Amino acid sequence: MLEFSQQIINGLTLGSIYALIAIGYTMVYGIIGMINFAHGEIYMISAYIGLITITALTVQFGVENVPLILLFTLAVSILITSAYGWTIERVAYRPLRGSPRLIPLISAIGMSIFLQNYVQIGQGARDLSMQPLISGGWRFGPEDGFQVYLSYMQVLIAVVTVLFMTALTLFIARSRLGRACRACSQDLTMTNLLGIDTNRVISLTFVLGAALAAVAGVLISLYIGKINPFIGFEAGIKAFTAAVLGGIGSIPGAMLGGVILGLAESFASAYLLTEYKDVVAFSLLVLVLLFRPTGLLGKPEIEKV
Amino acid sequence: MNSFNRHVLSAAISAILLGLGGMAQAKDVIKIAVAGPITGPVAQYGDMQMMGAQMAVEQLNAKGGVDGKQLEAVLIDDVCEPKQAVAVANQIVNDKIKYVVGHLCSGSTQPASKIYEDEGILMITPAATNPAITQQGYKMVFRTIGTDDQQGPTAGDYIADQIKPKQMAVIHDKQQYGQGIAEEVKKTVEAKGVKVAMFEGVNKGQTDFSALCTKMKSENIDFVYYGGYHPELGLILRQCREQGFDAGFMGPEGVGNKDISAIAGPASEGLLVTLPADFSADPANADLVKAFKEKNQDPSGPFVMPAYSAVQIIADAIKGAKTEDPVKLADYIHKHSFNTPIGKVAFKENGDLKEFQFVVFEWHADATKTPVK
Repeated sequence: MLEFSQQIINGLTLGSIYALIAIGYTMVYGIIGMINFAHGEIYMISAYIGLITITALTVQFGVENVPLILLFTLAVSILITSAYGWTIERVAYRPLRGSPRLIPLISAIGMSIFLQNYVQIGQGARDLSMQPLISGGWRFGPEDGFQVYLSYMQVLIAVVTVLFMTALTLFIARSRLGRACRACSQDLTMTNLLGIDTNRVISLTFVLGAALAAVAGVLISLYIGKINPFIGFEAGIKAFTAAVLGGIGSIPGAMLGGVILGLAESFASAYLLTEYKDVVAFSLLVLVLLFRPTGLLGKPEIEKV
Repeated sequence: MNSFNRHVLSAAISAILLGLGGMAQAKDVIKIAVAGPITGPVAQYGDMQMMGAQMAVEQLNAKGGVDGKQLEAVLIDDVCEPKQAVAVANQIVNDKIKYVVGHLCSGSTQPASKIYEDEGILMITPAATNPAITQQGYKMVFRTIGTDDQQGPTAGDYIADQIKPKQMAVIHDKQQYGQGIAEEVKKTVEAKGVKVAMFEGVNKGQTDFSALCTKMKSENIDFVYYGGYHPELGLILRQCREQGFDAGFMGPEGVGNKDISAIAGPASEGLLVTLPADFSADPANADLVKAFKEKNQDPSGPFVMPAYSAVQIIADAIKGAKTEDPVKLADYIHKHSFNTPIGKVAFKENGDLKEFQFVVFEWHADATKTPVK
């Protein structure tokens, strides 16, 4: 039972990161119906910014206040990464607005390869690593038996994720811009006709998605502590799977999908074999799509006439 | 201008500028390809290989080269990926380079070796330890390092005789090298009655191992052998120690790298690693070690001296056999022995070294190592 709860903790931590990235995929899809394959790279870039900022603060300037380092790093990372998100949309997708669906998709793949190589040239193709900023945690269970370990870092990941998800949900549900976002996802042309600057809303979507990926990137560089220019690809595929699993286009779906995927991977390594964790995760996706083609929380797409 | 005209023109210009002696310039270089990872997650090992090979080339050239010809090391990046290694091998064939020092990872050496054998190119790997590479019946393939069927038993015997674990786990990265050595170790310890309670693979490039750590902890594993490279083991160590899993860990020479301490930090203290003996500590190599230190390079990495030796063997063979034909050189290398920084070496029929020793080292958090026993 104790092992089981430890595996749940492991899975939830992983799932939170997936969910944060998955939201970027699902929001863009919900509004312009395209898959932004460069999103994984945004996450990778933010992991680099996170690692560089933290190292600069601790080593260069000798800052020791951990909450301050965290807040500053998150702010810097969100700012720069959002700028990347905005620029990518501007450069790679906006000129292709209105063209057949396949064309922005190819542009996205090109963007992803470009960003990977760009970081590889700028930062080198080797692994960068960092020692944990936050260590320690709580232990539960018998002194001489199996102890469940909940690290401060895992709690931080969960808290930050919930915080940003709540903020996003409130923003989408309550604010004017959020309402415009929802309107765009229902009918882009009609929203445009009603006098809303849809290009601005689409830019905003990319910025929001990038900001959440930035949070995920900073958290991962803190939690795992080893990054390279290729981490975006795998994380991107996983997060995309999470978005599809939950129902692409649905924000709560992306959150749910991320958590389910994280738990599935964790349980597969625990009760089957570690090498089967991806097999289990993707089989789950196939099964869900077989029985619910729109994903767990997705709504079927109605052909607009 | 067609290429014939261009050649005539350049020949004419060089004849004018340098006199006729200048024309032979291009033919006086013997090119040796050094193929290994220059980029990617295991590029640190490539550094060791390139460093050793380049030092050998420089020192041989300083002594007047080989039969009056200068050596040139051509560094080529295979990222330690089998696909890339095949492309690299074909590039070497097209560039008409006749000697290769490499590749580094077993997984990329294996497919490349077939091309070298077919094309009659002499290949000496200073690092690939998987036994299968020299079991293909090839004539052109050699190595200046031991094999995993020597390394595996060294590690296995140490575990069974010194550590005596009750419940052991063997984890590997499913690559040719990692899984190969893991199976050797498993075989050795099981023959000595140690119980291997877990034998499983992880994915190359995987970053989250917390579930694996929890599983090992709950199965009361008291010792772990990991077959693979340092990026994965570094994270496994870090995440397992964090969870309070305090079993001992051991790995092959693919984890013995400064980066394991950069990734795992204090968790890398006490890690056991089987490595080739530290040739840089051998008094016979003092001058060579000094030469490395003068260039601010570290000669203690496991592949530095084997790479140096590989270049030296090629040079010595050219001198001894008085030919540059790689097929004849391969024959010469099979029949003779060579004095190198890794000792006096002679090769078996299949291209393996007749003798090679692996030694168990203990790794420390500050990225240093000390021999145990």
